[in-house]
Amino acid sequence: MRYFSRVSENDLDFLEGLLGSRNLSTREEELIANSIDAYQGGFHKPEVVVWPEEPEQVSQILRYCNERRIPVYTRGGGTGLSGTTPIHGGVLISTVKMNRIIEVMDRDMQVRVQPGLIYERLNKELESHGLFFPPDPASASYCTIGGMVACNASGLKAVKYGTTRDYVLGFQAAFPDGSLRRVGFHTFKYSTGYDLVKMMVGSQGTLGVFTEITLRLRTLPEHAETIAAFFPSIRLATETIYHIVRRGLDVAALEFMDGWMTRAVSEFKGLGFPEAGAMILVESHGTRSAVRETLSRVRDIIREHGGFGIMEAEDEASRKRLWDARRGAYPATLRLAKTLVISDIIVPLSRLAEAVEKAYEIGDRHGVKVYCIGHFGDGNIHAHWCAEERGDEVLRKLHEANDEYSLYAISVGGAVSAEHGIGTEKKKFLRLQHPEAYDLLLKVKRMIDPNCILSPGIMFDVDEVIG
Amino acid sequence: MDVLWEGLGEYSEDILRCIRCGFCNSVCPTSNASFSYMASKTSRGRLVMLQSILRKSSTINPLDREFRRLIDLCFGCRRCLEVCPAGVRIPQLMWRVRSLGGGGGRLRLMLKHYGAIEKTASRIHRLSNLILGSRLGRRILQTLAGIDSRAPFPRFSPPLESMIKQSPGQGRPLAYFIDIFTNYHESGLGLRVAGFLERLGYSVYAPVQREAGTPLLEEGLLEEAKQVARFNVSSLLREVERGARILTSSPAAYLALKRDYPELLGDEDSRVVAENTVDVLEIIREEVDGGRIRFREGRGRLIYHSSCFSKATGMSGLIIGLLESAGYSVEVREECCGIAGMWGMMREHYEEALDVGSRLFSKIRGADVPVVSQSETCRLQISHHAGVRTLHPFEALLGRIQSR
Repeated sequence: MRYFSRVSENDLDFLEGLLGSRNLSTREEELIANSIDAYQGGFHKPEVVVWPEEPEQVSQILRYCNERRIPVYTRGGGTGLSGTTPIHGGVLISTVKMNRIIEVMDRDMQVRVQPGLIYERLNKELESHGLFFPPDPASASYCTIGGMVACNASGLKAVKYGTTRDYVLGFQAAFPDGSLRRVGFHTFKYSTGYDLVKMMVGSQGTLGVFTEITLRLRTLPEHAETIAAFFPSIRLATETIYHIVRRGLDVAALEFMDGWMTRAVSEFKGLGFPEAGAMILVESHGTRSAVRETLSRVRDIIREHGGFGIMEAEDEASRKRLWDARRGAYPATLRLAKTLVISDIIVPLSRLAEAVEKAYEIGDRHGVKVYCIGHFGDGNIHAHWCAEERGDEVLRKLHEANDEYSLYAISVGGAVSAEHGIGTEKKKFLRLQHPEAYDLLLKVKRMIDPNCILSPGIMFDVDEVIG
Repeated sequence: MDVLWEGLGEYSEDILRCIRCGFCNSVCPTSNASFSYMASKTSRGRLVMLQSILRKSSTINPLDREFRRLIDLCFGCRRCLEVCPAGVRIPQLMWRVRSLGGGGGRLRLMLKHYGAIEKTASRIHRLSNLILGSRLGRRILQTLAGIDSRAPFPRFSPPLESMIKQSPGQGRPLAYFIDIFTNYHESGLGLRVAGFLERLGYSVYAPVQREAGTPLLEEGLLEEAKQVARFNVSSLLREVERGARILTSSPAAYLALKRDYPELLGDEDSRVVAENTVDVLEIIREEVDGGRIRFREGRGRLIYHSSCFSKATGMSGLIIGLLESAGYSVEVREECCGIAGMWGMMREHYEEALDVGSRLFSKIRGADVPVVSQSETCRLQISHHAGVRTLHPFEALLGRIQSR
């Protein structure tokens, strides 16, 4: 017997009465447009898409769906990479109409926003205050703050600024019992019992639906400079990265690209990079003199490890050129591969060189091409598993290689995801990832969402939660 | 659905290459309007729907009228081409989706002959303006051509092609590829461009030509667009072989020659024409850099509206640089005005175009300085809805150029 209820005419009447006819749709075109995100999965249609405009509407939707046992999924920019689409149908809450900045608390260096606000728009608005929200994921131009909080997003600058979790001070969220609760404080630290704020960050819509978020902000750096360097081997590049971190140098980005990717980007963007086994990009933020001092020491470490062809970028235009190389990695791969699966593992710093070699070994064994880039300053590797063909069989092969890589990450004390989340893609690893705490995770889920109506099938299989 | 596979040909691959990152949505004018909270009304939504059809994962019929309404929300601005990491040719594939419907319809029939209709109306411009200046005339235009009676419609002027010479005289030859708007609505501007260049030692003339054909592409009338492109390329190639460069002053004309024709025809001739095409503003840049013209001392302020096509052709940077060299303090506005050639004039898109343009209008309404835009229809839309004076960048520069 089917566990979840289908959305009935009566349910649609309720939703229309609550939200108005403009704020829901059951049209095939709209359902399809909301049925997939940036993850390489299939199409999973919701039965209805709704656009609440008020927190109370969200809480009433949750209360109603919990009573009727209808699945509820939440969607922001739809840029997720782990698969958070409505695999059990039901109601899809789109947050895009809740997209305001509620209050910039300049003196407190905080901002209160609605969840559907786009990341880049927030930072554009904050510019005039000399402030910014740092995580900077690759999807910056279209991802929403709610989505970032839901998957604990981060990006190139996490080595200095950390991840979204480090900036969420509090939130208001709706829960399946119909409650609307405020959690957290307007202070940068607290010692007040269990940290429910941090627990909700990264929960991917499985515990509640954010209706408001309070973020800590940072001061825009006075000065920034970037350098790039090339290495004869991967190991020399990763050793350099290790020593930059180990010596406590204040770098804001510490990126790695293997030799193939360096070549591909150079050809794609016409950059004329030298032939190399790997390249790194280092950026520093701060006062001009501090940045100069930091990068001078970084250059010393690069030279100590056989780095060559050092390129320096002191102004905005030349920095942009260097970063275009890094941002060109994904497009360059897309032009050479018809099917692509990207890993998001993170390993201890001591394992970086080994982890890259491991990707090549797995690739060889599965007959799959693989290229590595990553935010190596914090150990995050994005292996790109590629195929020149298209089709389900090809995709399955790439996923198998990626799955083996995820298992490797767990085996060395790492994690299967550093910034994309678990979603549907990696839920099979969650028990292995938390061998002695998995039952506690399940208990938390069962306590807050006993009927498993929130994002069912994401992070956990439904049977596990209700079983 | 097979009709989509067959109709799109190699462009099917573009659809499948889309990784659904949403970058196109961040720059797409209609994906940032008040109606585009619905994912199906955004650029990525259109690609997702097409993917679902190709992968047989939905029941959407690509020939369905409602689906076509959603596809029509792409008006070909080309902003997405700058940001798409997968290199998906979004506007070009939307033209092809529109071409699937085939068939006629009054609007399509009018479009197929719009060049000839405009030419005729321009020849009898006094009568045309009298008719279109009346409510009845606008209602007739709405009924026959689908152009909303509330939309700004440009007055006709006598054809520029009949006012300048047809073959090169003394001086460095420039074959003027004029396009509809300058030819039949702004011939005064075209004359000033020609006169200015003649004074610099160029010989400007109008070779045999047809309209650029952008509206044909947008409507998915690809065969008709190809015919127009072949005609123009063949004529302009003769001029290039005689040693002329091809001159444009309209961004649509420039884009057609530089990008659309080579993409559409895929032949060497169109590439040669593209390589030899130059805009009047690029010539001014050459002349300034070569020290042959100088700007007068003095300061001024203006707003520069970076039209979609100016961005797509990469001309915006050059224009801003020139305006600043001429002593202007330039406020740059990137927002789209919503008109997109004829798109925003059409009855079914008039309200949507206002919605798209509202972000720009609210920023410039009441401005005490002129708004400069390279696009002729953008100038029309901006002056109509924001009530501000508009200029082609050439006009803003002309007043600053020191006479020799």
